[in-house]
Amino acid sequence: MGSDPIIKRQEWLVSLPTLVWLTLFVVVPTLLVFVIAFRPANPYGGIGAGWTLENVRSLWTPGTLAIAWRTLWISLLTTAISLVLAVPTGYTIARAPERWRNRLLMLVVVPFWTSFLVRVFAWKSLLHPEGLIKKLLEAAGLVGPETTLLYNPAAVVLVMVYTFLPFTILPIYATAERFDFRLVEAARDLGARPFQAFRRVFLPGIRRGILIAVLVVFIPSLGSYIIPDLVGGPGGEMIGNKIAQRVFTDRNLPQAAALSAVLVLAVLAPLVGVLVLQRKSRKAGIVMGESP
Amino acid sequence: MAEFLEFRGVSKRFGAVQAVDGVSLDIKKGEFFSLLGPSGCGKTTMLRLAAGFERPDAGRVFLDGRDITDLPPDKRRVNTVFQSYALFPHMTVRDNIGFGLTIAKRPKGEIRDEVDRMLGLIRMTDQGGKKPDQLSGGQKQRVAVARALVNKPDVLLLDEPLAALDLKLRQKMLIELDLIHDEVGITFLYVTHDQAEAMSLSDRIAVMEAGRIEQIGPPAEIYEAPRTGFVAAFIGDTNFLDGRVLDCPDREYCRLRIAGLPPVLGFNDRSILAGQPIALSVRPEKIHISHEEPEARPQRNAFPAVVEDVIYLGANTKYWVRAGGHRIQVLRQHARYVLDEKPLRWNDACWIWWHADDGFMLDPFRADGE
Amino acid sequence: MRRSRFPLVVTALVMAFFYLPILILVANSFNPARYSSRWQGVSLVWYRRLFESPEVWQALKITLVIAVSVTAVSVVLGTAAAYALHRYGSSRLQRVHYTLIYQPLVVPEILMGISLLMAFVAAGVPLGLLTIFLAHVTFCVSFVAMTVLARLQDFDFSVIEAARDLGASPWQSTRKVLIPLLMPGIVAGALLAFTLSIDDFVITFFVAGPGSTTLPLRIYSMIKYGAPPMINALSTLLLLVTFAAVLASQRLSRSKR
Repeated sequence: MGSDPIIKRQEWLVSLPTLVWLTLFVVVPTLLVFVIAFRPANPYGGIGAGWTLENVRSLWTPGTLAIAWRTLWISLLTTAISLVLAVPTGYTIARAPERWRNRLLMLVVVPFWTSFLVRVFAWKSLLHPEGLIKKLLEAAGLVGPETTLLYNPAAVVLVMVYTFLPFTILPIYATAERFDFRLVEAARDLGARPFQAFRRVFLPGIRRGILIAVLVVFIPSLGSYIIPDLVGGPGGEMIGNKIAQRVFTDRNLPQAAALSAVLVLAVLAPLVGVLVLQRKSRKAGIVMGESP
Repeated sequence: MAEFLEFRGVSKRFGAVQAVDGVSLDIKKGEFFSLLGPSGCGKTTMLRLAAGFERPDAGRVFLDGRDITDLPPDKRRVNTVFQSYALFPHMTVRDNIGFGLTIAKRPKGEIRDEVDRMLGLIRMTDQGGKKPDQLSGGQKQRVAVARALVNKPDVLLLDEPLAALDLKLRQKMLIELDLIHDEVGITFLYVTHDQAEAMSLSDRIAVMEAGRIEQIGPPAEIYEAPRTGFVAAFIGDTNFLDGRVLDCPDREYCRLRIAGLPPVLGFNDRSILAGQPIALSVRPEKIHISHEEPEARPQRNAFPAVVEDVIYLGANTKYWVRAGGHRIQVLRQHARYVLDEKPLRWNDACWIWWHADDGFMLDPFRADGE
Repeated sequence: MRRSRFPLVVTALVMAFFYLPILILVANSFNPARYSSRWQGVSLVWYRRLFESPEVWQALKITLVIAVSVTAVSVVLGTAAAYALHRYGSSRLQRVHYTLIYQPLVVPEILMGISLLMAFVAAGVPLGLLTIFLAHVTFCVSFVAMTVLARLQDFDFSVIEAARDLGASPWQSTRKVLIPLLMPGIVAGALLAFTLSIDDFVITFFVAGPGSTTLPLRIYSMIKYGAPPMINALSTLLLLVTFAAVLASQRLSRSKR
């Protein structure tokens, strides 16, 4: 039926609007970013004529490299912490009795339904020198009156974990729910201690969920802008901030484009990596007769 | 009765699978015609070709003399009863049944009367206001039939309509479908894998396998005179004895050499050559069994055998016996009170015999899994 | 076999972690004190100030105008896209189609924002309501498509064939059968698109012009440049609205099973 020309024509007709729209507003702009990265800046804040490698060269400054490095380790740390918190949580929800499962999932998802900006702001006030947490910690004698909880990388990581944790929990829950827990019982029966069974049987069993969870945290983290902007301060600056700074403060679009191009590549790398891994595992899966 | 629905050399391929392979079929007006075969034999594809949901790669489809091959489904005077019923969930029973008439822009009064008539026919007069999710399986099926019939199509296509019903309901619906066909009188093309349905409902059956038609004929002919090993095995039970033709002494019978047995007489309804390998198909109910040797008769094939298994079923008994190294199934009906006779038991020596007319010579056949 | 308590403890802590900031925020919206650490009783003063603030009303108006128009357009585009993806699923065209639709969902917002900004600047399009509209539709289409697609997975296409069989033309069967049955999914997608549009900050930040300050942009500047606790009140209200919209969307997208 796929070769039927009438069906083909129908298919094109229905798909064309979104194909055109997305090509125009997603593909073309992205390509444009790469093009503009090689053009000089116009003194009036626009794009000049001709080609230059200046923007690419400017990427290699210690300042920019430091920010790139900070972006990377903040994202990695966020991902790691989110995973460590998400796996037990996903496990608990998957093992919960039927009635509770949906309620727990709702509890996890509901905060996501509220304005993102507002939630970051909530943390900003919480971590504020006059805010609740600081007051509590001061009362407990853990910090002095001068310490600021805000405006450093730690605050960024904290708020990022807060933001991305629901997205991490859901895929882990989804795979854990399908996981046959009798495999863990079998491992225990064969002499494995609880943590061993967990590490050698459960974790590999939910690896697909873990992979999705990693992607769902790591990639958006790389491109974070609001969180470092509101709670990061100068010490917590990430690539997102730099790009915004180039656009709005320095009025240098080509340099912003160059930075963005780097971010695009940084984001593509894990995605492509995952695709390659998936294809390899699918081939291996077919050979071993494993079902997806 | 003229040829009404005609397929001429239609073929349809899906990817690597040839679903229908050069099939030609003539269905007569008013006939109840069944396409019978296992899953994947192409019967559903044939139905969809008739309905217009698929276009053939080759060949043409004719309805009442007109070429409908290129017509879309909404332009054909053909209606379908789907296997899943496909009732519109957001419409009531009345609206479902009246859908075709509404599309055809018939006057509201006419639609109302026709729907009432249909509700009467399927005996659901008070249930017009219900929604499909409030109906039982049998009711949904009747609504699906009514929805198709109300448009007075030239042909009604039915795609395994009873498959989703349980046994009791299926038997009830079989009778209903039969009655509806008699009352309405239009041509039915019925697709099923269930031979009981096909045999009890149809005027003629086409047995299909692997995209081709194996045999067409009335149910009795399909059963009693199978033309291929597939048909003999697919419909009812049969015994296959492989052997070779020795010679054909007269036009009606051939002598066959079957390993382990003296020469067997088989019924010759085709042109058979000496030396040709064949499979002799004999249905279990045509074979007689007894402790004593029967009288010798010219067209009677009789052999000594040993009883291997006995399955008592009340109205009849199945025996598995071994004769000449072959395992043969015998079905014996208990027409008289059975307890007075000396029963046939395991390991008993016995005799089996059948009339040569009841053994058909077919091409050697290997069913899957044997 | 005794199961470790550890996962349960972690889960409880995570849940507390999730709700703490929100609860405090909502509580503080009723706290008349300037600094949230001092509790001065319940009061609606910040809500009153909010209602008396013209910039907030202006921002609300702009946000709603954009959200409604974006929802309308992305619902039409997204539903068509979902239909194509489901119906013609395995063809090469649809695989490309799916990859394209998937992009706005995985790409960080800042990349979308900046690439659209560059495109508009390069094309000479002045930044303002139009550019915000175009940007919002771009990512909303994907979400609508995914929502409707999920609903389509359970959809039994034989009802469409039945409609065609009974004489309905392709357009008639779409109008009378497909769309009514998809309606819950379409509405769910619409609510989602509406919420995303109202809520969007990063992309809007990059493609907005002078005079096109949406509510999130207004909130941002309020946060950045001094923070009258009015934000708590505004945030609480925004929380309620988006929460209600997504709740309705969830209910609809899961309705009849």
